[in-house]
Amino acid sequence: MTEPTRSTTGKRSWLARLAQKRWGTWLVALLILPTLGLIALLIYGALLMMEDEPVVYANIEEHFKYGSTGGERESGFPYWIFQALPRVCAIHLPGPGYASLGMVFEEGKDLPVGMSRRRYQGVDRTFLNCAVCHASTVRDSPAARPRLYLGMPAHTFNVWAFQKFLFECAKDPKSSAEYVVPEIDRLMREKGERLGPVDRYLIYPVAVALVRERLLMLRGRFEPLMPYPEWGPGRVDTFNAAKVLFNFPLGALAEAEKNAPSDFPSIWLQQPRKGKQLHWDGNNTVVEERNKSAAFGTGTTPPTIDLQAIGRIEKWLLTAEPPKYPYPVGKVARGAAIYERYCISCHGASGRDFSGELVGKVTPIKDIGTDRRRLDSYTYDLAVNQSMLYAGYPWRFQHFRKTFGYANMPLDGIWLRAPYLHNGSVPSLRDLLEPSAQRPKIFFRGNDVYDPKKVGFVSNLAAQGWRSFFRFDTAVPGNSNVGHEGKPYGTELPPPDKDALVEYLKTF
Amino acid sequence: MAAKRKLGSGKRKLLIAIGMVLVLGALGGGFTWYKFFREEPQPDWITKDPDMRFKYGSIGAEREAGMPYWIFYVLPRMFPEKLPKPGGWAAFGVSWEQGQELPIGFTKMVVGFPRVANNCASCHAARYRTSLEENPTFVGSGPGHTLYLVGLFRFFVDCAKDPRFNADNMMREIRLVTNLSWIDRMIYRFILIPVTKKRLLEREAQFAWIYRRDLPDWGRGRDDAMNLTKYFLLKLPMDDSTGPTDMPPIWNLKKYDREGTTMNLAGDSHDAYSVIIDSALGVIGAAPKRKEEFLEQVKWLQQYLRAKEPPKFPFPINGKLAAAGKNVFDANCATCHASDKTGKRMPLEAVGTDPERIRTWNKDNAIAANKVVRGFGIERKGLVEAPLEGYNPPFLDGVWLRAPYLHNGSVPSLRDLLTAPEKRPKVFWRGYDLYDPVSMGFVSQGAEAQRVGTRHDTSERAAGNQGHLFGTNLPPGNKDALIEYLKTR
Repeated sequence: MTEPTRSTTGKRSWLARLAQKRWGTWLVALLILPTLGLIALLIYGALLMMEDEPVVYANIEEHFKYGSTGGERESGFPYWIFQALPRVCAIHLPGPGYASLGMVFEEGKDLPVGMSRRRYQGVDRTFLNCAVCHASTVRDSPAARPRLYLGMPAHTFNVWAFQKFLFECAKDPKSSAEYVVPEIDRLMREKGERLGPVDRYLIYPVAVALVRERLLMLRGRFEPLMPYPEWGPGRVDTFNAAKVLFNFPLGALAEAEKNAPSDFPSIWLQQPRKGKQLHWDGNNTVVEERNKSAAFGTGTTPPTIDLQAIGRIEKWLLTAEPPKYPYPVGKVARGAAIYERYCISCHGASGRDFSGELVGKVTPIKDIGTDRRRLDSYTYDLAVNQSMLYAGYPWRFQHFRKTFGYANMPLDGIWLRAPYLHNGSVPSLRDLLEPSAQRPKIFFRGNDVYDPKKVGFVSNLAAQGWRSFFRFDTAVPGNSNVGHEGKPYGTELPPPDKDALVEYLKTF
Repeated sequence: MAAKRKLGSGKRKLLIAIGMVLVLGALGGGFTWYKFFREEPQPDWITKDPDMRFKYGSIGAEREAGMPYWIFYVLPRMFPEKLPKPGGWAAFGVSWEQGQELPIGFTKMVVGFPRVANNCASCHAARYRTSLEENPTFVGSGPGHTLYLVGLFRFFVDCAKDPRFNADNMMREIRLVTNLSWIDRMIYRFILIPVTKKRLLEREAQFAWIYRRDLPDWGRGRDDAMNLTKYFLLKLPMDDSTGPTDMPPIWNLKKYDREGTTMNLAGDSHDAYSVIIDSALGVIGAAPKRKEEFLEQVKWLQQYLRAKEPPKFPFPINGKLAAAGKNVFDANCATCHASDKTGKRMPLEAVGTDPERIRTWNKDNAIAANKVVRGFGIERKGLVEAPLEGYNPPFLDGVWLRAPYLHNGSVPSLRDLLTAPEKRPKVFWRGYDLYDPVSMGFVSQGAEAQRVGTRHDTSERAAGNQGHLFGTNLPPGNKDALIEYLKTR
């Protein structure tokens, strides 16, 4: 067999002929090479699929700003698509780039504070993290440079407009691969990088289609909420968004449940908050469960959440202190005495000591009297559904409870938490000490210039330079500024006492 | 020598081959047993606490009727448009305690893989609120007056009929909530999802009558119990009868110890033991796999429910008025509701309530059902093999929580029941859990009751509110006193 002679070949079958040395070599070449190629491709593909590398920051503050929660795995945008969208869909943005949505960009960074990057399954992806809603800026004057504060409410970030931009863009033909891929090419060239052929002709066209499909799906789910009044910067309809997670048909919700925008909270000093009723309506008492719940907002799912990365933030936030008030503070003795008399039992002994018989407990809605939409948006049916979250994990949610009022919050760093009340309907602390009839009926949110006199952000300007602000109308459903008023709430104090109290609160 | 050795080596080869087959078979068998039949006991917090055991404990239904856990998990997310309202499983008015993974009456157990099935508490747990600003209180063994059982039955079938009920879509949804191993993903994709779909579709024919437009919807808190027995246990062809009736409370069963009392609305069954067996068989949906274990379970349930106290009225009671009401009760009600006659059939002409429920069942059905259960090897007194023209006057323990009233739940409150039939509400909404202590019943009118509940129209078949004229002619003061007294029962 090894040395067949020519004379015998004629009698042999085609198979045997193929086994001849000359043919055999070709056969080997023809079959083995593609096989090897295929194996190499499979290994390459498998390696790509196994890629899961977040950008890591040793420094905890950098990690908070730009680190991953794991959200990119399930919800991430391919990094370059995310960067190309404001270019192809500029028409759907109020101004240039994501900064026009109130996202905060630090110098030299190509992603805003609150967005992380992770290489996952062959593609660099980006998505939101905790900081996008829990970090923001303050300016001392319109000309001053913004100072970034971590852990404060992202009072300039307009998540409603961010969502709307993505949905509108997905609907626009400009977000097809035909426009997006060349834009990516251009962006990459600007950075001195090149778009490879595999990426250009395979990966990105598919990725663009998938991103659009996903956005349009989300758009369909959120659509019933879109006709309601805009939330404006610094607010989100937290628990109606949570209903989307369960795919509750939002359009069929009871009218009282819908449209419940509320302010992003500050997230410092979690250790002394443990066991207290968390969230505006106090619907959970376990910090870690509340954190995992909030992490759904950063695109995580139970199997894809990066518990180690979130754990670092969780631990840091236990003791992270709010920044000190950066402006001069006058005499505080008088204000301290008033605070002790009026505020201490609900709001705690001080900005660091949260002891007090009613701190972190729920005040019934009829007593506190503030806008009830946020309360009503959180329903018993939602609470019980939440107890199915993380099923199969030891940390399955067990502590969500429907309540019937709003929780009394500790006041650490209160100067950075304007506007006030859960729905951010009162622009400054000084305004909050007025009866609701005297509080501003219309003001503007989203300006980060500080007003040390009233303790809050400047709220009387519709625009300033290239920035324009959100007109907040307290007559719109969900925006009412009533409540937290009357004698026990200090709104009947003489004006000098109110001034003194506000002065004292600057030290919190 | 050589031949011998050859023979020996042949034998050895054969033995090795047999051995390998055996090992492989054992491995395969072990795998199959582990992945499909291995049973893990439920956790202690369920099995060690009688109340928890009643609410969440398995009665063995997972083996035959258990749905793979992750399919159960994603169904309401995949098919929210088929739910009666937003809210996942909560949309069906189940009694779901906050912090619990599953509603009361839904059991989770590993039989090869985690499965979800039901127990008695799914229909026999009540919920109520005394004010709007309050979370519901749950009463295990109480009547499931909020449960939209027919909607739940239809939901399962409708999901299975939807082309989106397929492995691709379902695995995509499951991937969002848990991290299954590769093996388990394959088992779900190629076995559990297709088999579940098939099993649900098989029910469609048996459930044909709940899709009929000419028959009334059961609405919340009711089921067509005798027809369920006829079509599922006896596998009889569909007829035109319909008789949806209220889910009853099953507390305090020791009251049926008295000689001569029968159970079920028309006195259809001889004793509590038989009723528990028959109802549990309905939940399990098949002959029990382990008879001894099943009967142990039944005995435990009977002993638990005999001793279970009815819940106290959760509002203040005017003691003086109630004392006066006792006299009214003794003079007007006690003859039927607190006497030898209680729990014994009263002729239909005497009570005059809606007759349709009686027409859903007959003597032949009883004989056939008893035969089927005997065929399972289960001995019990069983169903009454006689024509049953009438209804049993019920015991009134915990009567406040038994609203709406009459066997078909056609009268929303006790105050309405003490009103002449033509003045009782003709249309109301049932299944809302807010209690009205003045008229003694659940709030059954208004926007919230309409949003949460289902419409009960007394002009529909089997839904009539006629009959039980007793007490309707009492002077108003006596009615008030009587109602106050009934709060103490």
